[in-house]
Amino acid sequence: MPMYGDQGNKLVQHAKRMQNLAHLPPYQTELVRAVTREVRDLDKDVASLLEPFQGSFDPSADQSTACTLLVNHLSMRRNKRCLLAYHRTRTDKLEELVWNGSDVLDLAGQQAGGGANGATAAADSGASSSSLSPQEEDYVRQYGDLLAAYKGQWTDIDLTGSLEPPRDLFIDVRVLKDAGEIQTEYGAINLTKNSQFYVRQGDVERLIAQGYLQKLG
Amino acid sequence: MALPLPLGLTHSEVAFLAEMELVTVVPRQRLESIDLLSGKTPPLRPPHRTDLPLWLALLLKKQRRANIVPPPWMHPASLADIVHRETKVHPQAFSEPMPTASRARQSEPGYAGRIGGSGDNNSGEVILSPPFQSNCTSAAPAGYLPYHWLEVAEALVTHASDDLGGNTSEIRGLLRDLVEVRAAKMRDSAETLGAEGQGGVVSLRGVGAMELAENRGFVLGVVDGVRKIGGAVETARREREEEMDLGGGEGGRGGYGGDGDSDDDMGI
Amino acid sequence: MSYYDIDAILTDAEKIPCTFQLDIPDLGYLDNTPNQPLKAGTKVSLPLWLAEMLVIANTGGPDNKTFVTFDLPRALGNDVVQALKADPRAVPLRDQSAHFYGLATHMMDLSEEQELGSVLRKTFVTRAAEISLHARKVGGVSAKGKGKEEGSNLGIGGAGEEFLRGLDEWERKLFRKAHDGAKSGKEWMESIKKN
Repeated sequence: MPMYGDQGNKLVQHAKRMQNLAHLPPYQTELVRAVTREVRDLDKDVASLLEPFQGSFDPSADQSTACTLLVNHLSMRRNKRCLLAYHRTRTDKLEELVWNGSDVLDLAGQQAGGGANGATAAADSGASSSSLSPQEEDYVRQYGDLLAAYKGQWTDIDLTGSLEPPRDLFIDVRVLKDAGEIQTEYGAINLTKNSQFYVRQGDVERLIAQGYLQKLG
Repeated sequence: MALPLPLGLTHSEVAFLAEMELVTVVPRQRLESIDLLSGKTPPLRPPHRTDLPLWLALLLKKQRRANIVPPPWMHPASLADIVHRETKVHPQAFSEPMPTASRARQSEPGYAGRIGGSGDNNSGEVILSPPFQSNCTSAAPAGYLPYHWLEVAEALVTHASDDLGGNTSEIRGLLRDLVEVRAAKMRDSAETLGAEGQGGVVSLRGVGAMELAENRGFVLGVVDGVRKIGGAVETARREREEEMDLGGGEGGRGGYGGDGDSDDDMGI
Repeated sequence: MSYYDIDAILTDAEKIPCTFQLDIPDLGYLDNTPNQPLKAGTKVSLPLWLAEMLVIANTGGPDNKTFVTFDLPRALGNDVVQALKADPRAVPLRDQSAHFYGLATHMMDLSEEQELGSVLRKTFVTRAAEISLHARKVGGVSAKGKGKEEGSNLGIGGAGEEFLRGLDEWERKLFRKAHDGAKSGKEWMESIKKN
């Protein structure tokens, strides 16, 4: 027998699983809708329970109604907590992806595109092919802008750079994808695919993170 | 959220900091003073011994421009002595840390006095603590493990084994023994937390930086768990005490109220 | 415990046996009979998020009753406590509840269970030491093996595997912390040689 709060619990279980994943699984549109619907239904129940009392309900005079009201209230409060926690877990993840420099919006599209009926779904509508909700896509875009503006205040330090203490100032790298010409303290380097360079780590950290270069040895 | 690292220093951060420890080198070539952020290095004049930061010493070692003098505590006899103390003399505790320049006096709590050194002089000489105090130079005492013992020892065993007087494999073995026996103590320390009446405090005195990095998450997790399990019992006990001791203490929170509130609390 | 803590929310979904103290016409659905009233004395399993408040909320009537009374769930029953006293390491806590300690601390908040508290404390730390031992072993296997992350949980055999399977959520977190510590220790050791 399904109970109030069961749907919300499913949502939180999704959130729990998400914590150990590297990517973001699809937004649970249906479940979220079901939980919010449940809250609305509960609210309607409360209103109809209270209607006969005309605003002068005395809990001690009608204990069983008081208990029902309490159960309804607790169920709504529980659902609210589940909804908020689910969305909070997702936005935490999204922020993490933005900080890591992955192109979240691009990534989301690719994942959905690779799915079973990805090709047709993607062709149908852009919105349904993403694993993000439209609100989340908006959030990522604005959060990315915010982070870029924040980072822009410092030109000589990369806030999203590697947190590993450097072992060597210079490293060997192999170019995996053409990355064009970069300027370094020692002149310009043209990064063409499959070439190898001995470069200052600080100059290419970003390109390594983005997958253009591979660190050797 | 921006910082994805766990609480405290990570292994690589500890290893990086350990490279600031001074070690003694015997230069094989002349090298003029280098102006570093941390100050000027002394000029190198063979065969005079000089103290350099570990990272620079290792660099010169790899370029065959210097030999490293291992610190006295890394001598096999010293390490064997520490292993003996860890296993036979004080099987429950970590061995004493290396004496620092200033240390609280056991007889007069809260009063710090100098150990060793020139006693009670007021010459205005700065009292240093690691990494600015030399715990890994040839002047350091034997028989104690400094804070960065594992990092420095591993670096020297790996990159300067020909400077260890042919004792490399013996030293390596003794280091392994130390790592193992101390890891077991760290594990057992979790169990002493559960013993009633012990106050739930584990003494980590003498534990090295790398050992702390490795065990921080686990030990804090155990402490946190014990605290949460004891929380309910503790609140009840405190309430009883407060009833007896009227007016004293801070306002206790009800056993339920404490946790239940969080349901309403959306604060971060 | 924060409002958004996923594990806290899942712990609150754990059910405990409750008994209703009065007839309630509209709550029949809690006992699987949506169209009939819930009679006083009916036993129902309720999730903590619901039970916790019903247990302490006063009906407001003259007799100062609560809506519901509760019993300790079976996971914290005498059988389990006795088994834990005998050998904490031999009990697969996860079979009792995935949120064993979380459930227990909630129950201890609701009723004073002095003995339960000290048994659990002993249980937790004894098992913690065992967890740390396994975490180190596992870390060693993964580092010496193919150096691949995936293999890290497969390298332990027999009894160890059985013990680890029986860990509750708190203990799993502890294992992960101990394992991460041991693993990055191993990685550091290996990195020295490379440099």
